[in-house]
Amino acid sequence: MEKTEKNLYVLMASILGTMMIVALVFDGPIATLKGFLSLQVHAGRLINDFTTVGVGAALFNAALVGFIGLTLVYFVEVSMSGPTIAAIFTLTGFGLFGKTPLNCIPLILGVWISARIARKTLGSYSLIALFGTALGPLVTYVMFDIGLPLGISIPIGIIAGIAVGAILPAVAGSMLQLHQGYNLYNVGFTCGFIGLFASSLLIATNTMEPLEIIWSSVNEPILAMLVVAISLVFIIAGLTFHRVGNIRSTIGEFLDLQKFSGRLPTDFFDNSSAAATLLNIGLLGLASWTYVLLVGAPFNGPVLGGIFTVMGFGGFGKSLRNTWPVVTGAVVATLVFGKSLSAPGPILAALFCTTLAPIAGQFGIIAGFIAGFIHLFMVETTAAWHGGLDLYNNGFAGGLTASLLIAILQWYKTNRPKEDFEQ
Amino acid sequence: MKRKEILGRLIGELTHFILEGNPLRMVVSLHQEDDGAHISIFDDKPRSEEELERIRKSLNPKSHRPELAEYYGMMAGHDMAWDARLKLIGWQIKHASVGNSDSGVQIDLWLGSDAFSPVNFTIDGKK
Repeated sequence: MEKTEKNLYVLMASILGTMMIVALVFDGPIATLKGFLSLQVHAGRLINDFTTVGVGAALFNAALVGFIGLTLVYFVEVSMSGPTIAAIFTLTGFGLFGKTPLNCIPLILGVWISARIARKTLGSYSLIALFGTALGPLVTYVMFDIGLPLGISIPIGIIAGIAVGAILPAVAGSMLQLHQGYNLYNVGFTCGFIGLFASSLLIATNTMEPLEIIWSSVNEPILAMLVVAISLVFIIAGLTFHRVGNIRSTIGEFLDLQKFSGRLPTDFFDNSSAAATLLNIGLLGLASWTYVLLVGAPFNGPVLGGIFTVMGFGGFGKSLRNTWPVVTGAVVATLVFGKSLSAPGPILAALFCTTLAPIAGQFGIIAGFIAGFIHLFMVETTAAWHGGLDLYNNGFAGGLTASLLIAILQWYKTNRPKEDFEQ
Repeated sequence: MKRKEILGRLIGELTHFILEGNPLRMVVSLHQEDDGAHISIFDDKPRSEEELERIRKSLNPKSHRPELAEYYGMMAGHDMAWDARLKLIGWQIKHASVGNSDSGVQIDLWLGSDAFSPVNFTIDGKK
């Protein structure tokens, strides 16, 4: 393992370890563990803010889910790099509103079975296994909320998770072709597609409950401080990576990194430098934090989940340059449709719409703005389609938006008379 | 079946890259063995050493990336509208050699199972 990779493991493990310690200190070990156990029986469908159970419990759960990701990356022997850091951050973030160790493991097991069937290593499908945990609520919803005795519903939930995990690699590959890598949360798009079928089956069996929003309006200073602290750690790590004397070269590399479109798969650690990428992650964290503060939204589980996801993809496609046009589009759409910027849907859309950042990176500011605008009104409806079972609802809406825009742009690009054979 | 798909994808992405230079001539050759294959592509556009180095780097990634090869590698050869992405090929092959031939660029790709060794092929050795 290279030195950079070792340092990244230490960095990620330290962040997750610190989150666990903060959780245990904040609410006390007993309350934290009690809360953590009660979270395991939550369905966790969108939007279920785990901080309403307890900030300590939510942080502990998130850190544990993050550690599952970190352990998987280590044991399947794939690089600790842009895509895996994005996955670990995303897992941790969604551990604050939907993912639990209980609902993640059957899905990972399903992907492993799929890898065995295809005679590949789990490493080959590791990103699908990690991001595929977006369908965690399907497992816990079937386990605890469909009204069957637990002795029957728990095995059904596990089997459902394994079955869905097993088909994820097949579907994820096909969905990628629709948007050609312009939607960063491709597995979210995939999970939304599978979620349509799962939700329809649950509706057919009269076991689907309507969606409800559980959202903490309490502004937790500890959560706000956590974002700043983690962002600063990344910024300092980036600036000191080549030793302090080389800050200028790091800033130069950071500016070069902004030129990448971010289209999947752009691993900034590979295409740029580790120092510039760490700086990019930290600055994206601070920019997201500032936006949340400016619009007056609470720092709760889902908002923190959004910020963590933006940060994670700071190593795998998102930069300050390619995210702002998309966010501006979502903000303008929110205002045009008379919604509040701090309401649950719009604040999450403003953070997660950055899944469409590659469109701005490749086709420019106007295309990015249009993508963000469309995304806002799409994402408000799509959660109901899959019954909130796909936690990456923005990935689903983003996939639909990207597929539409790319189909139009592709048609336009392939029908240029100037480049045709002479008639 | 799998062999046909991967060869199709790699040849698709490689021809996409060559066609971006709008060549007047392009030749693709394929040589298959039981445990591997060799793809060779030529055109009539010589490249600068700097450009050849960039192609070499894209086709010979620093490290083995199975998580990117299997999943994102599926995009190779699928999309002709936007820029070709040689890295999608690089993650899926054993080795690539790149250089200028008499007329233009020549790119050789070797791919195959773990047992496969490019030295068994005579094409590269004759150069």
